[in-house]
Amino acid sequence: MKKIITLGVLALSSFASQAELRINGFANLVGGLTSSDESLYGYDDNMSFNQESLFAIQISGDINDKMTATGQLVARGDNDYDPDFEWAYFTYAATDKLSISAGRLRLPLFTYSASKDVGYSYHWMSTPESVYNVPFNNLDGIRFDYSTYAGDWEYSASLSAGTFSGTAFGADVKGENVLVFSAEAAYEWFKIRAVAGTGKTTIELASSTRNDVIQLGQGLAQMAAIGFSDLANKLLLEEDTGQFLGLSAQVDKFDWFVSAEVTSVTAEQSFLADTVAYYITAGIRQGAWTPSITYEKSKTDDDIKFGGEIAQIATSGLPAPVVQSLSALAVGSQLFTQSETNVLSATVRYDYDTNIALKADISKYSDDLNDANDATLVRFAVNYVF
Amino acid sequence: MLPKCFQKPLLAVALSLSLGGLANAELVVIVHPSNAANIDNTQVQRIFLGKEKKFADGSEATPINSVASNASREQFDTKVLERSSSQVAAYWSKLVFTGKGIPPKELENDAAVIAAVAADASAIGYVDSAAVTGSVKVITLN
Repeated sequence: MKKIITLGVLALSSFASQAELRINGFANLVGGLTSSDESLYGYDDNMSFNQESLFAIQISGDINDKMTATGQLVARGDNDYDPDFEWAYFTYAATDKLSISAGRLRLPLFTYSASKDVGYSYHWMSTPESVYNVPFNNLDGIRFDYSTYAGDWEYSASLSAGTFSGTAFGADVKGENVLVFSAEAAYEWFKIRAVAGTGKTTIELASSTRNDVIQLGQGLAQMAAIGFSDLANKLLLEEDTGQFLGLSAQVDKFDWFVSAEVTSVTAEQSFLADTVAYYITAGIRQGAWTPSITYEKSKTDDDIKFGGEIAQIATSGLPAPVVQSLSALAVGSQLFTQSETNVLSATVRYDYDTNIALKADISKYSDDLNDANDATLVRFAVNYVF
Repeated sequence: MLPKCFQKPLLAVALSLSLGGLANAELVVIVHPSNAANIDNTQVQRIFLGKEKKFADGSEATPINSVASNASREQFDTKVLERSSSQVAAYWSKLVFTGKGIPPKELENDAAVIAAVAADASAIGYVDSAAVTGSVKVITLN
């Protein structure tokens, strides 16, 4: 009997020493409402807690000295708090400076990509939507992270490769042969970052939850059937190259900070208008209080692409109504993705404890192409990490 | 009136008493007595922020932190890490949730930090200078 107990204790202790499990988590409880009859980011004029609230648990364990396994389970309010393994990856620390991660992980597109969901880690209510709301945040693949320093400068670089899937216009978006490179240099209070990425991207219009998007797909199929398959193929985003460029700079003097980030998303051979988005944010730290303001803007290119091919429809000799509806589709599909919006936000963060922050935010959203979409949103949040 | 020769030592004693009072709240960095590496402010900062995993002599460095409720912690965060304790927590939350780093282990009080540092040749910690014992080596920061 005694022997069995001893063996049991031994087995337990050796198991514990081999796999030290770390459990961390974070939670954002965000409530918000817009002023009467407006809607923004899924909120309307009734108080709602489901749009951005989330609870997450991360479990990581050391497989050996060099290898770690990490899984992150996230339950989002806008998905009925159904928990999902959003990240699951292995990390291999090749050297003190180089680590290699493989699995499903965050694509390092933006300065705050990695901690986008961890409200506690930044001064905003949420990362600026105009810039951060892209359908490709998580990567299935591999990422190399390198960091080093020389004198007072710290440098880091990362290279990611793989595939992604997401949603845009209510439709499934897929990316293959994705390659993203980012580099960062930091000097005490100053940080600068640049990123470039490319991928073969597809939007499956037929999969959309929106009728107008499904109809667009059907219209383009008809266009191809009538004989303009070249133009239809150009308008469709099917395994076409998409490009991502980004640049950011941060100055943080502890008592105050200011930072800006600009990104460009293009898919030349498609109906999608090229988008440039940026934000600039500034705030001060006064004890436990961090008041800040943020201005964000997103603007698409207002050129109509494929003018030559569209002109050919008119000279094709087809009946006038057909010419008209095909031309309208070729131009309209592009106008459909054009937008020009800006958001001005005032946020205050209060550090209630070393792992709890309280926030309040008011955001004024303006749609320069359609005033009817303008909205004012008020949000409150509790951010927690453990 | 005391003779002049007596005044000076008295003044010195008074000064050292008041300085001694201040020194009680002074923060010192401690390592294992066998640790001979040269350590400066920047290195301590990098080790405690997970940016550096080794001492200058190439040996492994294991930072030992204090819990947030310990007075030494806030002093260390503001003076050495040059951030508020909340900012340090925010910094680690970014690394932890991307698998890029694990924050240093946090111990309950100065005595626990001293015991941990005394028992581990790779350890580096910080405590109030008044708590220091002969079992650890004190590093003077500039």
